This record gives sequence, C-alpha cells and structure tokens, in this order.
Amino acid sequence: MSTVLAQIESQIAKLSSTAVRKNTGFITAVADGVAKVNGLSDVMYNEMVAFPGGVIGIALNLGEDEVGCVVLGDVSQLKQGDEVQTTGKLLSVPVGKGLLGRVVDALGNAVDGKGAIDSTTFYPVEKIAPGIMARKSVNQPLFTGIMAIDSMIPIGRGQRELIIGDRGTGKTTIAIDTIINQANINRVGLASGDPAFRPVYSIYVAIGQKNSNIVRTIAALEAAGALEFTCIVAAPAADNPANQYLAPYSGAAIGEWFMENGMDALIVYDDLSKHAVAYRQISLILKRPSGREAYPGDVFYLHSRLLERAARLDGKGSLTALPIIETLAGDVSAYIPTNVISITDGQIFLETDLFNQGIRPAVSVGLSVSRVGSAAQIKATKQVGGKLKGELAQFRELAAFAQFGSDLDAKTKAQLDRGSRIVELFKQPAFNPISIELQAVTIFALQKGYYDGIDIKTVTKTSASIREFFKTRQDALLTEIRTKAALDKDLEAKIVTALNAWKSSAA
Amino acid sequence: MAAVPAKTRVFVKQLVQLSLVNGRVSSEQVAGVLEYLEKHPPARPQVVLGYYRDLIAAELAKGEARIEHAGPVAPSAVAAIAAAMTRRYGRPVEAVTLPNPALFAGLRVRVADDVFESSVSGQLAALAASC
Repeated sequence: MSTVLAQIESQIAKLSSTAVRKNTGFITAVADGVAKVNGLSDVMYNEMVAFPGGVIGIALNLGEDEVGCVVLGDVSQLKQGDEVQTTGKLLSVPVGKGLLGRVVDALGNAVDGKGAIDSTTFYPVEKIAPGIMARKSVNQPLFTGIMAIDSMIPIGRGQRELIIGDRGTGKTTIAIDTIINQANINRVGLASGDPAFRPVYSIYVAIGQKNSNIVRTIAALEAAGALEFTCIVAAPAADNPANQYLAPYSGAAIGEWFMENGMDALIVYDDLSKHAVAYRQISLILKRPSGREAYPGDVFYLHSRLLERAARLDGKGSLTALPIIETLAGDVSAYIPTNVISITDGQIFLETDLFNQGIRPAVSVGLSVSRVGSAAQIKATKQVGGKLKGELAQFRELAAFAQFGSDLDAKTKAQLDRGSRIVELFKQPAFNPISIELQAVTIFALQKGYYDGIDIKTVTKTSASIREFFKTRQDALLTEIRTKAALDKDLEAKIVTALNAWKSSAA
Repeated sequence: MAAVPAKTRVFVKQLVQLSLVNGRVSSEQVAGVLEYLEKHPPARPQVVLGYYRDLIAAELAKGEARIEHAGPVAPSAVAAIAAAMTRRYGRPVEAVTLPNPALFAGLRVRVADDVFESSVSGQLAALAASC
C-alpha cells in the first residue's frame, strides 16, 4: 500500500507550482504536410514543435513573420488557429541493439507489430559528421559476398560506395546480398569465439519505396537469417515527404550508435534519388528558391552532410554507407547522380544491357571504381584477383574490336576466351553471397586453368560445383584460408590438391 | 500574411516604427499613420492595412500580460506579475485578467508568443503527454 501512496506522492510532486515557460504560435496555413506558423519567436532551426493532438513537426524555415514547419504525422486534424509550442528539443530517435531485428519508421517508432522498441538511449537525427582528427583511414575490408565487387571494386569499413544504375538492374539486390553476407560472417565469427572478431550490424533505409517491395526485402532478410543483425527504417511511398526526408538521417543516427560504441555498422540508403525528390517537394512547398531540375540550392548539402557521417573512427567503430541512386536511361551526368558520385568514395555502376544479357550482377567494370582500392582487400583476394579488373577491361576492348573483324590471331582469341570465362565466373544468383574464402578458391581455380577446356556456358555451374565441394568436404581448408587471409605455398598446394580431388570426383 | 510582397513588408514596418513612442504603440501616432494612408492610399490598401493591423496587434501583445485564472486573483498578485514581466522583458508590461474556468486552478500568463503555465489543467496535460 505504501508503494502505491509513494507513486501518487511522486505524481503530485511532479505537479510543481513553478510556472513553465513555453513559446507558442498559431497555425496560419496547413498544406501538403507543411504548416505555416505565426509566432514561435524563440524557435530554433530544426527544433521539434508540438502541434495539438500529440502531432510533432520540425521548424525548417525561420522566416521574418512566420515559421515553416514540416508535420511528421497526421495533418488532417490540424487547422488554422491551432496553437503550436516549441519543445526545446531536436528530433531524436531510439538507438541501440534493441533495434536489431525491428522495422521502424522515420521517427524510430516500431511498425512491425512486435511491441515497443527496447531502448533508453536516443540520438539526434541531425548531427555534425566526425571531423578530420577523429577519423582513421579505411583499410579493413567489408565483404559484400559478390565476387565481382570483392575482387575488383573492394569496399572498406567506413567507406561510402555508391550503387548506381537504371531501374531494375539489381541495385537493391546488391545491397541485400551485402547485408545477408554480413549476417553470414557474423554467425561464423561469433560462433568461433574469436575475441578480435568485429561483427557488422546493418541498417536498411527504405525511402519512397512501395510497401510491397519493403515487405519483400524484409522477407528476403528473414529467410536468410539476416534480420536479427539488421534494423529497417521504412519511409514508404505512402508516407509523407517529411518522413521520407528524415528517414536516412534517422538511419544514420542508429548507425552512429554502433560506430561510437566501438562496433561496425553498414547502412544502405535505398534510394537517395527518391530522397532528393521528397526534399524538393518540401522545399517547393516552403517556397524556397529552386534551381536546376527544380531542386533547392542546398540539395548537395542534403546528401553531403548525410554521407559524411559514414566514417571509420580512431579508437571506435565504423559506419559504412551504401547509398543507392537510380538513373534514367543510364544518364550518370544528371544532377543528383553527379552530386552523389562526387561525395562518395567510388561507385558500382550497373548496366541495363549487361542485365538483359543475363550478366548478373550487372556490374560495369569499366565505370565502377572504389577509391579505397586494394587497401580494403585481404591478401588472398589480391593474390588471386589482382589482375582480373585489367584482364576484364582488356577483354571488353578486344570484344568491341572483334565485332568488326573475323580473322583474329591466336593470342586475341585466347584473351577473348579467357574474358568470357571471367564474365561467366562472376555471374551470381540473387541473395546468394559467397564467403571470401570460397571466392578465393573460385578465382584461384580460374588462375590455375580449371575452367579451361570446358564449355563457356558451363563455367558458372562448374564454379558452383567447386564451391559446393569445398563447402562440404574441405571445411578445414576454408577455415585455414579465412584465418590466414593470405595464400602461401603450402596453402596453395593444399588448394590444388583439393581442386584435383574435385576434378576427379566430377569426372 | 505569406502573400504580402517584400516591398510592402518594408513599407508597413516603417509605418509600425512611426506608430511607436518609447517602444510602445501610441494611439495618436497610429491615428496619424491611418490618416496619412487615407490621404495617400497605397497600392493594394487592404493588404497594407491588414499587415499593419497584424504587426500592431503583435506590438500591443508585447506590452500586455494576459492573465487567465480559474479562481479569484488578488490585485497585488496581478501587480506583481506585471512588475515581473516588465523586469523580464525590459519594457513596460500591463496586466489584463481573463477568467478561464477550464484551468481548474492556478494561472496562465501570456505575453506575446510566451506562455507561462502554472495552471492545473496545463500541468495535467504535460503529465499526460509524458506518460
């Protein structure tokens, strides 16, 4: 009984007699998710404001006579003359491991029906990116599980690598594969009990996507057992533009918690083209001056301040960003693509033609680049795949010339044949990432000529057969490759022996 | 207010400055401004006068503490509030009382955009929002 009384007493104590000062204003107009407010003379830029009925908004335009606020909720219940109050707080979202396996909206509210988010820590949605001195150079690999990327366009922890391409070229698939691969690595690493192992947690931010697509992504992650290491921030197409504008920043805040607490995280922004469109919509409603393609003048800053938050911090963790940009008819010179290309540390360009030819993932080796380069590769990958990008580029050049002439010398024919085999080797089904040790074995087999002499069309199948053989019968050898992360003479000999065993078993 | 052109805003703000004496709205000055506008009607007089009215109302609100109360308020309390607000804002603030039974008990004081809440209804609302 005394506990009950104590609770009531504490509630009464909260009803203090001191006056609380609030700065207020009145709605003069509400349209398209934006409220114009008269008053709010003390409001700060980006401050949360409280509308009646528990609806919150953010002050984005501080005008001379009125404040433009984006409403993050149901605007239908707001009307002219309603009182608006400042809160003195910047927008914050819950962060922490309690978000893993959960689907949240742009404000960090659970939308998956699994109950409230188990978190007591909140991070501001908008935060200044880490400075120069706090950062460390990117030299730890982040394996995507996609052979074409890990061997030729390696991504490091803390890097920002853009995935760019037309619609339907497999951009999201690459991102999902990467998330699934992190989960696979995490499971193996955590099971090994290695104290030096650093798991990578993933955040997938869906901006302006169809709900059905988001559901499909969640299902794919769940089927692959990756959802337990992933948090999904969903701002679907049906959501208001303010939430679509905020979602990437909320995702970044969630990722920053992992980074600042000594862990590694990966964040996927799918996609920033739709994010720019949502921001353009808000800006036009706020009557901000428009520039090229009707985007506001600060659309570069919109993405630069977001992507700068991805970093590898000295003495702490890292946040790797994979932003996605959708191009129109392969035009990478459009406004938003060029902006994001210039901000990121490289790009993976996906080509529609390659996709239609059945080359999947449709990575254009010529146009794709990673500015971190081989610094983010393990030695084993460098040893087996160091020359692949050059060989493939040479192949593309020769293949273009070969179309015009029929008489080719033996050397050229051999180069074309090898190039075709590399292209076939890099074909990989969706949601099926390959571990780095299996990638090393697969490419090692190419270097040692195990795919020579077989029909080009069977290269993909043969490589899958080699991987299956190693996975089922050479587990110890794969573990050795993974732990050593480099191929010495002894290890190479063991792989050759195993490959010969596969060859004889397959014959 | 959003439809007021920038030039009109500047013009009206100058009229508002003319309407103040020692930082307070002077009824004589306002009458003078209105007389001037009648003799020299500007383009879109409705917009100018509407905006002028809004700005003058905002200026008047700055010098007025609207004290909402549920029960009786002692004149000494009203005077104390007026003195406190005058000190806080560094300008003369006059107190006006308005009965409001919806507050249950306590006071709510409004000076321009600022609301000082010590009413029971306000505290219950804050408590409900925090739960």
